[in-house]
Amino acid sequence: MPLLAARALSKRFGGLRAVDGVDLELREGEILGVIGPNGAGKTTLFSLVTGSLPPTSGEVLLEGRRMTGLSAHRVVRAGIVRTHQIVRPFPNLTVSENVAVGAIHGARRAGGTARGRTAEALAFVGLEGRAGEPPASLTLSGRKRLELARALATAPRVLLLDEVIAGVNPTEANALAALIRRIRTERKVAIVMIEHVMAAVMSLSDRVVVLDHGRKIAEGTPAEVVRQPEVIEAYLGKAHGGVAR
Amino acid sequence: MTLRWPAAIPARAAISFAAAVAVLALGPLVLDVYTLNLFTLAFLMVAGALAWNWMGGYVGQVSFGHAAMFGIGGFVAARLLLAHLPAPLAWLAGGLAGGVFALGAHPTLRLRGPYFSIATIGLGEAARLVFTYWEDFTGGSSGLSLPIVAGGKEGLYLWGLALAAAVVVASWAIRRSTLGLQLLAIKADVEAASDVGVSATFYQDLVFFLSGGVVGVTGALYASYFSFIEPNDMFGFDRSISFVLMCVIGGLGTVLGPVLGAVVFVLLRQFLLASYPQLYLGLYGILLVLIILFEPLGLTGLYLRLWRRTGGRRAAPPPLAPSSAGEGR
Amino acid sequence: MARFVDLAISAVLLAGLYATMAYGLGLIYGVLRVVNLAHGGVIMAGAYLGWVLHGWLGLDPYLSIPIVAAVSFGFGALLYRVLVRHLPRGAAGGPASLLLLFGVWLVLRNAAYLAFTGNDQVIRTPYSTRALPFLGTWVSVNRLAVLGIALAIPIALHLVLSRTYLGKAIRAVAQNADSCTLVGVDVERIYTVTFGLGTALAGLAGLLSATLFAFNPAFGAGELLKSFVVVVLGGLGSVAGTGVAALVLAVVEVFAILVLPSYLTAAVGFVMLVLVLVFRPGGLFGQRVLG
Repeated sequence: MPLLAARALSKRFGGLRAVDGVDLELREGEILGVIGPNGAGKTTLFSLVTGSLPPTSGEVLLEGRRMTGLSAHRVVRAGIVRTHQIVRPFPNLTVSENVAVGAIHGARRAGGTARGRTAEALAFVGLEGRAGEPPASLTLSGRKRLELARALATAPRVLLLDEVIAGVNPTEANALAALIRRIRTERKVAIVMIEHVMAAVMSLSDRVVVLDHGRKIAEGTPAEVVRQPEVIEAYLGKAHGGVAR
Repeated sequence: MTLRWPAAIPARAAISFAAAVAVLALGPLVLDVYTLNLFTLAFLMVAGALAWNWMGGYVGQVSFGHAAMFGIGGFVAARLLLAHLPAPLAWLAGGLAGGVFALGAHPTLRLRGPYFSIATIGLGEAARLVFTYWEDFTGGSSGLSLPIVAGGKEGLYLWGLALAAAVVVASWAIRRSTLGLQLLAIKADVEAASDVGVSATFYQDLVFFLSGGVVGVTGALYASYFSFIEPNDMFGFDRSISFVLMCVIGGLGTVLGPVLGAVVFVLLRQFLLASYPQLYLGLYGILLVLIILFEPLGLTGLYLRLWRRTGGRRAAPPPLAPSSAGEGR
Repeated sequence: MARFVDLAISAVLLAGLYATMAYGLGLIYGVLRVVNLAHGGVIMAGAYLGWVLHGWLGLDPYLSIPIVAAVSFGFGALLYRVLVRHLPRGAAGGPASLLLLFGVWLVLRNAAYLAFTGNDQVIRTPYSTRALPFLGTWVSVNRLAVLGIALAIPIALHLVLSRTYLGKAIRAVAQNADSCTLVGVDVERIYTVTFGLGTALAGLAGLLSATLFAFNPAFGAGELLKSFVVVVLGGLGSVAGTGVAALVLAVVEVFAILVLPSYLTAAVGFVMLVLVLVFRPGGLFGQRVLG
């Protein structure tokens, strides 16, 4: 049984089909990449999975258990957590307090103390030296790590990363990529990552899913997917059909 | 590594606080009636302001309608006292009534920020209208007279002190606990908080209930204190405003703030009522404007500035003051 | 039957007033993202201004419309320039702007109380009691005039917003203030003008109310609440939406008199708000106001 499954997941806003009948499967220990042109519905898909948005139709299953219709915080308590495309730290809390909010629920879910989980998550992302500072004093990369630590503190089974790597310089990008790998191996968390930085997606993902206009248009290993004409067309337009990247 | 929560209340602060309470408890032995009454009123307002602050300062939902719970607490307790129920039970029942009312206002919690505030204006006004005309319960404009509580004014002084002390401790405890942390997260970004597992609806309901309940108890004690209450005073918009003012003047979101604010408010009101009764609303308005523009943390903000200038940067912030980054927003 | 027509007409007349009030509140929120808690105070001030002009200068309230509009506009512009401008914009400024404007409301209230005492006032003109026959019942001339003006104002404003350069600038700033700076729009000036327009509408609504109802310095809290209900129900930026929402509120209020005791009708606004929240937080149409 897949760890996480989305079946025929759809979201319509009036006449607009933001997500259109998407099927998705995530297996234990897997890193699944989600790519697609802007506006393809990737972030909306995440919101449907985490319960921030109710789907128009379809379902989300975690190890066979129905997640559809649960409110966002219940989904977190079941073991699915996300990071945001534009980071959202709590500006009125320090770095460690931010992580602690997640750790409270992580401790409830998986044991241990909130304090312990906070310390551990901070150390994992390398922010333990900045624990007492406000998020505003961190660089973008630091804030992304903070968001990551906060999510990890909830002791998830599944982590949804929304463009974690985009926007930081190459050195930091590599460091974040290494961190993501460690999350998979050391913490046994399966990951779905939306990403625009192709190099990252291709090197990190075991499998990739491509969305365009809300529909899944391709699926497979990174190497397979990149060669498919529909994918190239979606990114480069019809005139470029046949030109491999 | 500096993890500053959940922190135990620093011993020095706890001892000073206990000492202060002990000293105040000697009040009935040394103070004259007028001062005793003033102090009692101050204790009640401290309790009410702190409780309001749990909503307005911790969760960030500014309520302009807390008079509803205050009034309900007062009148429920009054009715029970008239039915010869022992005072502490009547007061507790008043508190429960206030809390239940707050729970009933649950739909308003879906609103954020200014929308919630405006809705609470409606809440307060609706309560005032209904209860003013429900003459059988509240006595209408003529109000209700209550029996004098056992222990008289001295007894009420001590009860008031006990209530205020309890609410201070509770506020401190909430602030430094995981509950407090989650409340602040909700205040900052309710969606992001839900995204890391915080149940926003549950906690807001809980805090609303507690806030309404304590304000209800305050109203109940207030009723006993004056031995006479009437709906326009208990449920009035001015009453709701007073809670807002106390916390903003003192410092929204802190523990020290509502305490300072309540004391200043009570003293100022006595002074103004005596000397310039027609000006107090306008003065409060100007005060609000000045505070928002120049020192959003009110008196506590001034105190912090002073402390920083004289004491320099030390490891721990002064007791009862905000301990997190960017507090007050 | 006559009673029904009576009530229906009352509702329509009231709706026009509510629409004017609500539009003022909605405009300021739509463009500046600030909820003008002094809205009720300005309505009250407009009422008193009209009353003063009528009582001391003998000016007919409908003739004092331009004066009240201008003064209210000036007040709002001044308010923005001197105070509101210094607030942080957006969600972070939420409680701060609320409290600031609330402080202004308190000052207005106190000023009115000092100048005019707390007694109820109303503007009475020679034609206050005249009525015209209509559909089997009598309609007060006063109320008709109020309706006419209350309809004309938002429509005029809508035309300004959609047809003039100023109007387009206002709408652009509402959508994306930063981009507007880049193309040379003086955003601060737009904010000032918008705030002034919002308060001008409030002041006018107050003037019109003064010819229909009694008022005193505490007047305005109920109006604020009703404006808010209309804004939420009708959405932002839609004159039609505001109009329909105002009508809905007015109809519910007026017909509630049939079933509720009189003191409860004032609570109708609040109950409506709760119902809207529970069943249709997105409003009827127009831009969804609640997040």
